[in-house]
Formats: sequence, C-alpha cells, structure tokens
Amino acid sequence: MFSKILIANRGEIAIRIIRACRELGIKTVAVYSSADQNALHVQLADESVLLGDAAPRESYLNAEKIIAAAKQTGAQAIHPGYGFLSENADFARAVESAALVFIGPSAASIRAMGDKAESKIMMKAAGVPTVPGFEGLQSEDEFRKAANEIGYPVLVKAAAGGGGKGMRVVNEESELSDALEAARREGLNSFGSDVLLIEKYLDKAHHIEFQVFGDKYGNLIHLFERECSVQRRHQKIIEETPSVLLTPQLREEMGKAAVAAAKAVNYYNAGTIEFIFDPKISAFYFLEMNTRLQVEHPITELVAGIDLVQWQIRVAAGERFPFAQDDFTQRGHAIECRLYAEDPSTGFLPSTGVLLQYLEAAGPNIRVDSGFSTGSEVTHFYDPLLAKLIVHAEDRASAIRKMRTALSDFVAHGVVTNIDFLQEVLKHESFAKGEVSTRWVEENFGAWGAAGVSTDAMIAASLADVVFAGATLQSAVSNETDPFNPWNQTHNFRL
Amino acid sequence: MKTTFDTHSLEVNPSGAGYIAVVDGKNVRVQVLRADAKTGMMELSIDGRRVVAHVSADKAKRWVTMNGQTVMLTKTSGAKRGVRHDHAGGLIAPMPGQVRSVAVKVGDLVKKGQTLLTMEAMKMEIRIQALKDGAVTALHVQQGQTVEREQILIEVEE
Repeated sequence: MFSKILIANRGEIAIRIIRACRELGIKTVAVYSSADQNALHVQLADESVLLGDAAPRESYLNAEKIIAAAKQTGAQAIHPGYGFLSENADFARAVESAALVFIGPSAASIRAMGDKAESKIMMKAAGVPTVPGFEGLQSEDEFRKAANEIGYPVLVKAAAGGGGKGMRVVNEESELSDALEAARREGLNSFGSDVLLIEKYLDKAHHIEFQVFGDKYGNLIHLFERECSVQRRHQKIIEETPSVLLTPQLREEMGKAAVAAAKAVNYYNAGTIEFIFDPKISAFYFLEMNTRLQVEHPITELVAGIDLVQWQIRVAAGERFPFAQDDFTQRGHAIECRLYAEDPSTGFLPSTGVLLQYLEAAGPNIRVDSGFSTGSEVTHFYDPLLAKLIVHAEDRASAIRKMRTALSDFVAHGVVTNIDFLQEVLKHESFAKGEVSTRWVEENFGAWGAAGVSTDAMIAASLADVVFAGATLQSAVSNETDPFNPWNQTHNFRL
Repeated sequence: MKTTFDTHSLEVNPSGAGYIAVVDGKNVRVQVLRADAKTGMMELSIDGRRVVAHVSADKAKRWVTMNGQTVMLTKTSGAKRGVRHDHAGGLIAPMPGQVRSVAVKVGDLVKKGQTLLTMEAMKMEIRIQALKDGAVTALHVQQGQTVEREQILIEVEE
C-alpha cells in the first residue's frame, strides 16, 4: 500500500479523496493554484505544493508541475479526481514513466475510450448498441451531408470531450456552421483537440449510466445504474439510483453490456458506461465511457454499500477486488443534488463572489461533499460546483422528502445558487413520476424566475441592520443617506 | 426607520419590547426572539408567526434565507435598479471572464443577433451578440483580456 498520495485536483473531490486516504492511513499532498491558497483542500492535506497561477493551464492542467510536485514530496501515487487531467492518457503515461502510480485505468484504456469516435467503432465491434451517427469527418460539407442523412436535430461533439463541454445540439442546417466552430473551439480549449463527431440527437431520451469497477487481474463487475436525466446545458444537476425506468431484466442486460464495453478495453479501476435510454421502446445505446471517478459516485456508494475511492486506491496499489457480481444488491434509494453557484433565472450563468454565509444540511443519511466554507471565494476560473448533497432512504418517495428537507436547511449567501431551482424540480409532478428526460429542464423551466421578495424577508433584512450592526435607531435613520454601510464588516455587535 | 429595497419601501420603528413594521399602510408587530451574529440567524415573531431567517450583508446587498428560500435585496435610495445587459448602445459582460475571440472591428456593419465576440468563463463559452443592426463604434477589449462583470465590451450604434 502507498504511504503518500498526491491529489491532482481541487474542491470537493480533492477533499473526498483526502478523507479516503486518511481512513486508509495514507499521507496526502494537495496541489493548488494562486487562487486557491486558502482553499479547504489545501488546509486538510498533510502537505501542499503551489503549482502556479489561477488559469488551469498554469496549475491543475499542468502535468509537468504536478509530477514534479509528487517527486519532490515523495508521493508514490497520483489521484486525478474528475475533470482536469483525469482522462488524459498522456498524463497517465507520464505518471507511470516517472515511476509513480496513476490511480485509475491504464493509459491505453483511457486513450481507447477517450476518443468518442474510436470508442464508438470499438463498441460496435464488441456488440454494444450505439447511437446512429458518423465519425472521422473533416470538412463542414461532410458534416452537412452527414447531418442531412441522419436527420435534424443532430449533436456535434468533441471527440476528446466530456462533461457537456465541446458539445452542441443543432436543430437546423443554418445553425450547423456556428455549432461546429463553437464545439471545435471548446474542444481545443478544454481538451486540446478539435476533432468532432456527429450523431442523431435523441429527443426525450434518458441518460442512464452504469458504474463498473475492476482490478488489475481481470475481475470486473458493475455496480448498477445511475439515472442522470435532470440536466441543464448537458450537465447533470440531479442523479439518483435505482432508475424507476429499469426492470430487473433491462438492468441485467444493460449491466452485461456495460461489463462487455469495459472489458473490450481491458479496463480496471472505477469507470462509468453512459447509455442513452429511449423509454418509448426500452432501447439503450452506448454513449461514452468516463474513464475516471464520476461526480455522482456517492449515490452508488450508498446503495451498493462500498467506498469506491478507497477501492480505487487499493486496486491501484495492486490489491485484488474480492467481490463478485452477486455480492452486490441495491439497498434503498439514493439521490444527489449538485449545488451550483449559478443563476437559474439567467440561463444558469455562473455566479462568482465570496461566500458571506455557508451552512450545510446535516442529519441521518444525509451526506454533504463540499469544498467550501464561509469566507471561501467562488472564482470564474473553475467549475462553479459548491457542494453535492446526497441522501439515502428506504424508497424513492422518502428519499425525495429527505432531499427537500435537507435542501431547505442549506444557507449559501454571497453567490446566487440553484438551491431554490432544485426544490422546484424535486416537487414537480414529472419528477415524481420519473418522466424527466434530458431536455426536460430547458422545456419546462426556460422562463423560470426566482420567487418574489416577501414582506417577511424585507422585515428580516431591515431588522438585521439594527440587530447585527448594533446600530441605534437614530443612526439607522441616518443610514438612509449612507446606504452602503455593510454591517458584516463592523464588529460592534451589541446583542 | 425607513428602508428601501429595490423598489419596495418599508418602515420599522421600535415599540415597547419589539418593533412595528409599516407595510403597505398596515402595522405589523415584530419581535426579535433570538439572534446569532455568527450565522446571521434571527428568530422573529411577525404578527404572532414564528419566522427563522438567515441574513447576510455585503455593501448594499442583503441576502435573506427563510424556509429554505433565498432572496437577494439591494438597499437603494428608491431609484430603480436591475441587471443591465446594454448601456447606451454598449454591450456589457454578463459575468467575469476572459475574451476568447473578437469577430469584428470598429466601423464594421453588424446585424442584430450577429456574434461580435466570445467570452469564456468557468469553461463555458458566452457569445456577445448585437442587440440591433448598426455599426461598431467602439471596441474596448481585445482577445485574451480578462474582464469584470458589467464591463462595457463593445459599442454598436444604429
């Protein structure tokens, strides 16, 4: 087993990995950018190394600096988390070349699955169903021809992409040119490649993915599905397991396909096979494989009863995964909500600022994976994920109730968050029925606006100025001429 | 004590052990039952109803969470304010970020809806598009430049 691991990430996932290491008795090294000097993951790690400027290319995407930091601190392995370098085969190879262990699959598996076009060809060969479409096209003309053949709407996406970046839905031919350009640019900026593929865009489709896990000795199983259909801008905001759509038979079929897909690239460690599911005809298609730990891994951990991050580390160190498929059953129902610093009323534009107040929910079977605390700054350099709120209950209805209660206990001030929006989704009839497809949010909440300001809220805000600032009513009157007198910066509390 | 939030005004005055709030001409009795400065928590009695609120302040902004719902209020002197997306023909940055590309130059004629420049923030691409047909009269940013929220990027005149 390793004695020291470097975590090449930030935010909640870095903290999640640090916790797993501590429980296994492994020392941790955090890396950080100049924007993250006071970040929680830096405080929690045993030691930390400054990589460079805030821009990801200077810090969390800089493979050379990260490997040098591992060498310098004597770490034996690197956990990449998700995003950043986690699905970069060159990085995985460079880590191994530096005589360090990459906690994840082999560079060859990442490379094989990393290219959406090549992986699709490989999956077809392995007998895994795939979405109708084309790979290997170059010119706009070729794409135009392909789109016409497939029929609009189509999806163009970066072959090297993931996480909804470098991806555009094209509803009609006039949008194709702009979409190709934008997807190419985002692909180049985020993944260093502008190769695109094109496929049929499935309307009313569900996104159902399967967790797979294996060791280096060929033992590989699946850990059931995650339904991730509540999305905005192609990014998930609510995930749950089990999916209400799957019958035991479908679950078994999809699980087998997921294992076959992973085995086709000799996969080991944690991975996720994403399927598009068409509920009208109960058909599923391989979408892509995420060759890393997934943001929403906690719901699988709760329902399957396993610590995926600890097992990632253990199998990376060469341990055998001692469980067989039949050792796992799905126990109860788990839901995850992603709390983002973003404004649902402006098309989910990210919101930046300092967290003036940040209070998390707590209670039985409530888990919060977070990277922030009061005083933390949310910057525009990184993903605006504040926290993941995860609940586990006996059945779906109880899990929804638990989630709604937990969400209402959250307080996050200083940035606009999607908490109220998540509540709206959770109490929606379509969500209760499990009918939410991947376009449901944009179709139903396009003109969503935050609730109006209540009289109670105004009374509370007025009184807070008096109560917390220790201002007398006389000086509060004079406050009218000086409306910019924030009481959180005064320290003369008089309560 | 009169306070104006955005476009709404209310008056709160001390009365006995509590306060009287005047809302839309009606008097509402308010008492502060408990308050904790560290978490910004206040337990209030408003017309006999128990209400728990968390309040934070940043300059003129007040954030209030009640029953799990959060609103942001801005203390104003009564003037109307809102989120601006254009400023006298100038297009402003909707959020802080970096200018990725500039598609036009001063003097170019542009059509409504045409992409003038693109920004990137949090790995998301944002297109700044012309709100009307016209000519580019000023370009205040260049490729690669970091911009602040509401900074004027480009100006288009009819």
